[in-house]
Amino acid sequence: MLGTVPDRRAPAVPPRGQRLDYRRPGAAGVAPASYWETIDPLLSQVRKPAQYVGGEHNQVASDWDASDTRWLLCYPDTYEVGQPNQGIQILYEILNERATALAERAYAPWIDMEALQREHGIPAFSLEHHRPLWAFDVFAVTLPHELGHTNLLNLLDLGSVPLRSAARSVDDPIVLVGGHAAYNPEPLAPFIDAAVMGDGEEVTLEVDDAIRTWKRIHLGDAQTPGPDAREDLLQRLAAVEGVYVPAFYEPRYYDDGRLRQTVSVKPGVPGRVPKRTVQDLEQWAYPRKQIVPMTETVHERFSVEIFRGCTRGCRFCQAGMITRPVRERRPETIQKLVEDGVRDTGFNEVGLLSLSSADHSAIGSVARDLADTYEGTTTSLSLPSTRVDAFNVTLSNELARNGRRTGLTFAPEAGSERMRAVINKMVSEADLLRTAETSFSEGWRHIKLYFMVGLPTEQDEDVLAIAELGIKAYEIARKYGKANKVTLSVGGFVPKPHTPFQWVAQDPPEEIRRKLSLIRHAIKAHGGLKLRTNDPEEGVIEGLLARGDRRVAPAVERAWELGARFDGWHEMPTLETWMQALEETGVSLERFSYRDRDENEALPWDHLDSGLEKSWLWEDWQDSLTEKDLDDCRWSACYDCGVCPGLSIDHDTGYTGGFQLPVLPQGLGGGSEDLPTAPERYASGS
Amino acid sequence: MSQRYRIRWTKEGRTRYISARDLTSVWERALRRADLPIAYSEGFTPHAKVSFPDALPVSYGSTGEYAELTFAAPITPERDIARLSSSLPDGMDILTYLEVPDGAPKLARMLRATLWELIWPPVDATELTDLLHRRSDELMASDAAPVIRHRPDGDRTIDVRPAMLAIDASTHPTAGGDARTVLRAVLRNDGPTVRPTDLHAALTRGDIAEPALNRRVAQGEHVPEGLREALSGAVDPLVLDVDAEAA
Repeated sequence: MLGTVPDRRAPAVPPRGQRLDYRRPGAAGVAPASYWETIDPLLSQVRKPAQYVGGEHNQVASDWDASDTRWLLCYPDTYEVGQPNQGIQILYEILNERATALAERAYAPWIDMEALQREHGIPAFSLEHHRPLWAFDVFAVTLPHELGHTNLLNLLDLGSVPLRSAARSVDDPIVLVGGHAAYNPEPLAPFIDAAVMGDGEEVTLEVDDAIRTWKRIHLGDAQTPGPDAREDLLQRLAAVEGVYVPAFYEPRYYDDGRLRQTVSVKPGVPGRVPKRTVQDLEQWAYPRKQIVPMTETVHERFSVEIFRGCTRGCRFCQAGMITRPVRERRPETIQKLVEDGVRDTGFNEVGLLSLSSADHSAIGSVARDLADTYEGTTTSLSLPSTRVDAFNVTLSNELARNGRRTGLTFAPEAGSERMRAVINKMVSEADLLRTAETSFSEGWRHIKLYFMVGLPTEQDEDVLAIAELGIKAYEIARKYGKANKVTLSVGGFVPKPHTPFQWVAQDPPEEIRRKLSLIRHAIKAHGGLKLRTNDPEEGVIEGLLARGDRRVAPAVERAWELGARFDGWHEMPTLETWMQALEETGVSLERFSYRDRDENEALPWDHLDSGLEKSWLWEDWQDSLTEKDLDDCRWSACYDCGVCPGLSIDHDTGYTGGFQLPVLPQGLGGGSEDLPTAPERYASGS
Repeated sequence: MSQRYRIRWTKEGRTRYISARDLTSVWERALRRADLPIAYSEGFTPHAKVSFPDALPVSYGSTGEYAELTFAAPITPERDIARLSSSLPDGMDILTYLEVPDGAPKLARMLRATLWELIWPPVDATELTDLLHRRSDELMASDAAPVIRHRPDGDRTIDVRPAMLAIDASTHPTAGGDARTVLRAVLRNDGPTVRPTDLHAALTRGDIAEPALNRRVAQGEHVPEGLREALSGAVDPLVLDVDAEAA
């Protein structure tokens, strides 16, 4: 055929052993070839090609040889889901502000793109210059949840990096993970070089310092690093507070297979790795120059984290436990970040992020000032969060001044008063119904209520109470308009590490399915009351990876080999693949997910210190069994969870003397009707 | 006092992959970054008043995109349009603008024809150009040129011939010292849509590869030399001056 493109050869990947020149610091570093010319002609064959091109407003594209350390920051899911992630954007900005560092971004290619990459020899690449993963010094991956683990392995494989840390050399990047799921990285232990615990801002720069120093010593000029160079790098990383190097620790087991202890086996590395806590958010007013995507993403808005941490004490909530204490941003800083950011990015929506945004002690004035600033403009404000018991409809009305009063979301999380006492979600039915009444009477037309089933001690009557609460709320809705709607969104509970529920048995999917059908049956007669659920099987892999130990790692690898990718996506049902992998590798869901653990059993994350005392977590778990509630320690006495000692801070309790609200709205102004997938639920988190 | 402008803009490089669906928000954000008083539609979800006459297939390049912008307040066009152009992502630039007087004909009526360019990789240039000459002549001499368009929802036969106003292939030197074939065609915009892929289907008999790039060069009115561009009135020739390009 005339005019056939000569077989477009992708730049060859140099074999390991010949990659040192690409890694050298500064001007001595040889820039790896860009794959853009190879990728470009293939993009018309893939779904949503714009996710692979980069070039967005606020992208930073630095010269390879102008920097000493080169980071590839990755969210192990599609661009659509990962791009809005705050954590990546913060680190991208602070690393690129450093004259000696360069940071580019990578996301997981969708399966159509992966197939083309494998066919044409295109490695996992960065968006800025389409540079190959293997050439970077650090492949830094955020793990907001557990369902990106197979994507992480896939990216390493696509990126021409050995899957196992033990097989890597000075020719390979450091594979570093962070984020909430990094609080138990054991199922990934053989595949990662290091995990960072806690807030990333300071520790990332310290890791960057350590790598730069190491490169100067071992890779400067035309030096050939000695055989111990990689080990030296891992030791330097382990010396940074908050960095966990799994290779320096070993799990010990009892004969019956229970974990006895995970011990450090390297002299000088700490027995327990403490998490890092940024003490003053005011010093880290990032991200300022947020990337503006050119294609659809799950959250298209300028997001400002208004505070970090939460002390509500919901016993199921890992985020609330591991991000303590509460650190607020000052109202004037929030106002300035928003105004500058909206001007710079052109976004027409502002998101005020945190775990419980209406709990900011000055939220009333923050909301009022922003609403004043954007009154009569096309800029809208939103307050996404899943917290209940901190809302007033006035606040929602304030934020919705420019828009229609469409939907409000509340998260009572459990249906019965008893169950809410067990999970420490302190909101009464009367409060909730009053809130529904106020919402509909003030013109809101749709409320969504988030619940979980599969909670500890749950009986069928607790499950049915979800339906009853929904029916009562729906009756209120109908009083104010025939078209008003109530949606119950119900998911299966997945116990997470570093929470009072870390010991409890997870419900198997059949049990979750049975409970969901109880609700479905109970609301059948109420046509306008909708029930939305996730596939109960979704929680199986999440639960296993959340509380698994190192013996789960071979199953992760096998599942990936068998083709598991995008484990959180409805489009990619991977459970069967996983079940095969579990069987082949002898990993038992009974052991890791479906049984109660006892007080004396070691947990796979005991050597990772979230600040919470294990004894306090146990005590709180016991308190939950007696339905004993626990107040928010910002407003009441300290109960010694263990986080604050050692930090030179107290909880921020406000600039205006505190401001208490009964329930918190989510996603004001409507939004999608669908129950978010796991990747979406976590997408906006930092 | 609202003001309307028509502009011609480019969609090249990485921005070729922005879908028609995402384009509106890309423009709206650029307008907001440039701080221009774009008018918004009424209602609860107001949209910036930016309208595009038609959608360009994803991955096509273009120097012939158009848009109509309505401003809520007067702007200083030479300054503000340049600012808007620099607020757009790399690859998108505004080439020309024209204020629209009241009662002006619709933009679509000024864009009756498109000059398309099909660009092949630098191989087989002489042979391919010759072949395309022959096939083009045959096509122009024919009464009908049915091609089958493959779609997920089933095949459809369309006649390419009625849309064809002019067509010519030529050989161009490349920066690398090679030569490549470029086909230019003026196609009617009124009537059933005919795209470069359809044109390629009509020209090949299994012996011509797909072009490396399809580009919409400009839109306007068909004239004997090629195409008179709608906003500037400049004529884009059908037959490129190969010597001038080489020099």
